[in-house]
Amino acid sequence: MIAREETMRDLMRLSQAGDKQAYAVLLEQTGRWLARFFSQKIAADAVDDLVQETLISLHRKRASYDPSRPFLPWLAAIARYRWVDRLRQTYRHAADELQDQHSEESHEDVVGAKISIDNLLHQLPQAQALAIRLVKIDGLSIAEACIKCGQSEPLVKVNIHRGLKKLAMLIESE
Amino acid sequence: MNKSFNIAALVDDLEPVKPMRQNVPLVFLAVITVAVTSLVIWTQGMRADVLAGRPDEMFLIRAGVLLLLGGATAYAVTSMASPAVGRSQNGWQMALAAAAVFPLAAIVVASTGDIGPAMSAMESGIRCMSYSLIAAVATAAPMVVWLRKGAPSSPERAGWLTGVASGGLGAFAYNLHCPFNNVVYIGLWYSLSIIICAVVGRMIVPRLIKW
Repeated sequence: MIAREETMRDLMRLSQAGDKQAYAVLLEQTGRWLARFFSQKIAADAVDDLVQETLISLHRKRASYDPSRPFLPWLAAIARYRWVDRLRQTYRHAADELQDQHSEESHEDVVGAKISIDNLLHQLPQAQALAIRLVKIDGLSIAEACIKCGQSEPLVKVNIHRGLKKLAMLIESE
Repeated sequence: MNKSFNIAALVDDLEPVKPMRQNVPLVFLAVITVAVTSLVIWTQGMRADVLAGRPDEMFLIRAGVLLLLGGATAYAVTSMASPAVGRSQNGWQMALAAAAVFPLAAIVVASTGDIGPAMSAMESGIRCMSYSLIAAVATAAPMVVWLRKGAPSSPERAGWLTGVASGGLGAFAYNLHCPFNNVVYIGLWYSLSIIICAVVGRMIVPRLIKW
């Protein structure tokens, strides 16, 4: 079942008032929504962790949701923040390489499409978006990414660094 | 995902929360700005022309621009605590563009060789800047507390803007004492204090509000 904006907004309002039943449903629905949202934007084995981190953020920051406003754009901003934070962490610590796996699920509803992470990547210069996609999402090494995109090693690193910085600034953009 | 465990734990932990309302920090900020301004007037005295009820035009423009810059930017900062994709707060950009007229005008005037008291009154300029910076710290406090409570999704931008907002309001507080009306003086010392606040805000605030 695909969650609707109105339903989720109502559930969030009830959750802010302390309704545990509504909150359980909201988290369940939100978890599914986030799994779709993050699919193909990060390695498949990292999606679950990112969904959990985002749900915990939702829990900790639930007072920051303004019930007079739509719910999904708020959730998307939280999700984008967690996603960029995750990309930055892996960049900073040169952590485990991510694997290139594609999910079969590609459905996004109208709101979802508008606030998707792809939209965020499209706002970057092509070279930066490509470097981030190859190294941070597809999980290639810097050397492999250089061969694939034809950029030098320092250039790939610079493009990732600048791209991540710009992504962080673009989180709330459409 | 170990959904059942996490969701159950989060549900168990649920307590009612009051949705954050942006007018709360803005009221605090207004009160602090008034308090800081009063403190400046009390310790340093008010400008003679304002006391006489005949304020200089340059003072009025300066005060208006600083208040506009501080207010519009503070509004943007407090909005950032409740993020949403597609929700843009661009009022601060217009206010910043309006405030940029002062340093630009100062450069134009200074290039003609007329720098007025900008350098000769350096001691006053440094005092002006110091008081503005101290006042800025006080006005930054409610914004940082609010951002910590919320979920700012662009901490670096929030840092810049907190610096600009507090710098603008801090400069506004001192501006009621500052006796100078020269555009080069204003363009130099007031701009410097706001730029310093913005840089300090960018350096410190993101660390304080990271979540």
